[in-house]
Amino acid sequence: MRELELFFGPQHLGMVGNFSITLKVEGDRILKADANPGFLHRGFEKLMENRTWMQNFPLVCRINVVEPDHMELIYSMAVEKLAGIEVPERGKFIRSIYCEMARVGSHLFGLWAYANMLGFDTVAHWAMYHRDLLLDLFEELTGARVYHIYLRPGGVRRDFPDGFTDRLVETLHKIGGKVPDYNATFFENSIFKKRAEGIGTVTREEAIRMGAVGHTIKATGMKYDIRKIEPYDAYDQVDFDIPVRTGGDAYSRLLTIRDDMIESVHMIFKLIDKMPKSGEVYTKTPNPFKWTIPEGEAYVRCESSRGELGLYIVSNGGEKPYRVHFNTPSYNHGLTVLEKALVGESVSDVGNIMISLYVVAPEIDR
Amino acid sequence: MEELKKKLLAYFTDLTIQIHDDYRMCINTQKETVVSLLNYLKNMGYEHFALLSCIDWIDKGEFELIYILSAYMEVCDKYQEKEQGIIIIKARISRDDAKVISVINVFENAEPYERELHEMFGIKFEGHPRLTPLMLEREYEIPPFRKDFDTLKYVDNTFGKIPSIEERKANYERT
Amino acid sequence: MPKTSFLNPFKAIKYLFEKPQTLKYPFETKEIADRYRGFHKNDWDKCTGCGNCADICPNKAITMVEIPELPNKPEEGKKNKRPQLDYGRCCFCGLCVDICPPGSLTLTKDFLHIHFDKKTFTFIPKDEKLNKETYKAEKEYSIFTASLSQRKEYYDGFSPDIRYALFKPDRIEMPEIEPDERKLSFIEQVIGYDKEQAKEEAGRCLECKLCEEACPAHLKISDYIDAIYRDDPKESLEIIYEDNPIPSICGRICMAHCEDACSLHIRGDSLAIRWLKRYAADQIKNFKEELELKPGKPTGKKVAIIGAGPSGLSLAYFLRLQGHDVVVYDELSGGGGIIRIGPPTYRLPLDAIDKDVQYIESLGVKFKFNTKVGRDIGFEKLLNDYNAVFMGIGNTISFSTRVKNSEKCTLALDFLKDNKIGKQRKVTKNIIIIGGGNVAMDVARESIRLQHIQFPEQQVITKIVSLEGWDQLPATKTEIEEAKEEGIRFNPSWGPKEVVLDDDGNIRGLLCKKVKSVFDEQGRFSPTFYENEEKFLEGTMIIEAIGQRADFSFLPEKLFKRLEFTDRKKIKVDANGMTSIPGVFAGGDIVNINMDAVTAIADAKVAAEGINKFLNYD
Repeated sequence: MRELELFFGPQHLGMVGNFSITLKVEGDRILKADANPGFLHRGFEKLMENRTWMQNFPLVCRINVVEPDHMELIYSMAVEKLAGIEVPERGKFIRSIYCEMARVGSHLFGLWAYANMLGFDTVAHWAMYHRDLLLDLFEELTGARVYHIYLRPGGVRRDFPDGFTDRLVETLHKIGGKVPDYNATFFENSIFKKRAEGIGTVTREEAIRMGAVGHTIKATGMKYDIRKIEPYDAYDQVDFDIPVRTGGDAYSRLLTIRDDMIESVHMIFKLIDKMPKSGEVYTKTPNPFKWTIPEGEAYVRCESSRGELGLYIVSNGGEKPYRVHFNTPSYNHGLTVLEKALVGESVSDVGNIMISLYVVAPEIDR
Repeated sequence: MEELKKKLLAYFTDLTIQIHDDYRMCINTQKETVVSLLNYLKNMGYEHFALLSCIDWIDKGEFELIYILSAYMEVCDKYQEKEQGIIIIKARISRDDAKVISVINVFENAEPYERELHEMFGIKFEGHPRLTPLMLEREYEIPPFRKDFDTLKYVDNTFGKIPSIEERKANYERT
Repeated sequence: MPKTSFLNPFKAIKYLFEKPQTLKYPFETKEIADRYRGFHKNDWDKCTGCGNCADICPNKAITMVEIPELPNKPEEGKKNKRPQLDYGRCCFCGLCVDICPPGSLTLTKDFLHIHFDKKTFTFIPKDEKLNKETYKAEKEYSIFTASLSQRKEYYDGFSPDIRYALFKPDRIEMPEIEPDERKLSFIEQVIGYDKEQAKEEAGRCLECKLCEEACPAHLKISDYIDAIYRDDPKESLEIIYEDNPIPSICGRICMAHCEDACSLHIRGDSLAIRWLKRYAADQIKNFKEELELKPGKPTGKKVAIIGAGPSGLSLAYFLRLQGHDVVVYDELSGGGGIIRIGPPTYRLPLDAIDKDVQYIESLGVKFKFNTKVGRDIGFEKLLNDYNAVFMGIGNTISFSTRVKNSEKCTLALDFLKDNKIGKQRKVTKNIIIIGGGNVAMDVARESIRLQHIQFPEQQVITKIVSLEGWDQLPATKTEIEEAKEEGIRFNPSWGPKEVVLDDDGNIRGLLCKKVKSVFDEQGRFSPTFYENEEKFLEGTMIIEAIGQRADFSFLPEKLFKRLEFTDRKKIKVDANGMTSIPGVFAGGDIVNINMDAVTAIADAKVAAEGINKFLNYD
């Protein structure tokens, strides 16, 4: 049969995000895939070198549209490490609760994208609706629905409003009560299973070789989670499990996401129970106009909803960072894992595989 | 980590190693040693190539390449020192003759990182199969992440000068 | 792995019979959260125009624009600039709200703006009080017409909260000696910051420079504070010396108009600018060795300065840097003028004065102390011998109340002068001070110290009688507070009627009458009394501290007649600091109405430029 070159995205119905893949196909089979990012490159890392430490914090969240919170977290963690700032106890718990809310929201968004891709519009709408309920809570807590700009170096910007935890628990119960419906219509639906099982399989060895993180490697049975390996904020004070699967295919990845979401909800309940009832939520940082950070470098990492998120930051003792480099999970997944996982699959499964790897294009481009 | 440090110092000659209290090990080395060092560390269990970055020390006329490695772990309920550790390898290369041997053969996922550094800093990775632009649409005279790339000047030249609010207001009123 | 079936999805059919969750926007709207970060609102009455919001804005969406119809009062720390937003650039992060020192900037819950004209997206936020036509009441407001010019009133979202502000509102407390200890001796009350404290305090400065406009001498305050923050007191002192040659003195007794204008002052404590200046001056032990200031190239012109007070010292310094020959005449034995005799040792030790004076002397200024113009040397001789003459003589004669027997009383300046540079006065156990200004406070606090020294472990009483009521007292708040802490009793709103003597002619007490009002309708000083409401205060010594005037007796009569005065009995000077007599300049307390050291420096700066001009045209 004849070999064809097929441009998949960025303007393709099956593509989520500003991302493109150049496929070499023979009939329906993919022989070679070339990931082609850069449609959303905004040069954040360069931009951050031109802004002060405080001015950078409203900026970093914009790197990732789906889950801005872990970007704020990783930047704050890096600055705190460089400047030697301690976060107060209540601040740590608020941060953890906030990040777990973000994880649930992000996974729901991923579920929307995936279900939408497969044509399960009912489930997709549910997921979007439930994410919206979380966005309402975010709006109440931070003042914005998507770019929250809430975690700041030293802690968080504002304390919880009165009665916020009650409303949070209520909303999470409301979402959790729908899990049986999600299961019935989606996860236990044989159509989904048939579409996802055995698709885009990444074995353990391949995953390690290609530097996969997050649910991609969890779906091969490895309990690799930064929250456990290098606990930050309040994660060392609660007990939680890391859900894994062994299939390594899109089906296992989606079930891992579902379990991770449920685990996160349970974790929020535990965190709320253990949280100090009062106290400071942030440590006062120096005057933003005079803030200089001593010379040094730091590599910090946290577990975002898509996997290990790292930040390498260098200060030359000035008012601005000297170099910032984000190591985002989608970078590996979208540029290395995806190219390998697509080989041998059918064209109709490109979106399926890509979203099951949870590739978020803005995160690659930065 | 101390043990690993001893082993490394016995095996390699041109390393300076510092261990920080948060399980960060910082290794300064030469660019020629990087590949064999990465290979050695990979066999020691540091299989996760987390990041390849570059810092432009323009005052010294050098690029500093940063390779960050960590370890995968099966079960994370039992911590081991090795598994929490992060190894940061640093090698300096000249800014004028920015060439270094690619590490793709050791770590497959270094490929996009090297591509990105090539287009952003203009570093040539020898042995890399496709050093084509990754993010950008074309190659620039001065690669954009170098410190001597002036973003404001670039914007002015490319998109024309952006007028200030006062100037814009005056313009609106005129039209 | 869960069991799967293609029949499972049909369970979702039950949702067909439930109420839809979608809002029928815009007929059905959602309650917007209280912290919502929408459009800006700015309380113009509170806003000081400091520009911190424009400085912190990461997107440079804020520019400060001048509003000509607003009053520009830089001396009060209020500029007529207000922030202008460009919503093409704003990212609604709210950093401007968290940095706003007066807390005037607020984000509201409004977020709708649709317009075909791009320029409506740059606008200057106001609030309900000023802009009634934009802010609609709840029932008039509709989201169909909502825009930047159709907003809901009292619809605040993300609001300023001092607890979460990006600046530090609280001052680093200045270590002081406790009242019970300090009233026993003349030890300096304020200990001074150490390095860490100074750095931390300097780090609070937001660099908005409102203080620089409020300072009469326009010191580059934010620059020298920043140098202290960077731990470089030498650079800091060099910056101070550009505008103020008496930092050790000003660092202690400056009236600190800058601190009143400080933008942090509105919701917190103002920056301790005066103490930081003192820190910079105290850190450098030897000015001559550390500072690299050189007198200018000799010009051959000669200037005589009468009075080595703040204005005279500053002028001598500024003129010397220009290269003129400067001679300073003063009747006292050292420099400082009124500063040397007025402020008690616990506020301003003589060492601090001499440190500044000696540095000015080391630059080549000649001082002729113990030389009174008019007595030891004639004024006309000065006019002949020198190219220009400057009068910075200050107010040196205390007023008396002139009530019956008032000649038995002591005058404030004589009392202070003797205590500071002469022989300590003998006091009695029960002292009455008449007056409510800073001099009266100095006299009272000095009296209580002398009483404690001369009558140790005994009951002593010091009272203040003032015409003004509590809230009108002209003395500064801190002075009054500190005097109260030391145990001084106040009798506000009482005027002296008669000094009562006993049979031997010694003072027995003061008969007072109740004050009706101190000022007349035009705000001029003209006290009226209830003549029949009287009070007798016991006391064996009375000190009058009701004000001072200048002594012009050194001027020959025909020259004095040519000297013009203003309505407020000050010498009239032109824009160059020159009096109505050509070649005679004046400054300090005899010219300005503030009557403090830093205004005297400002006068000296004006006069220095004026003299320079005058000499070059000559």
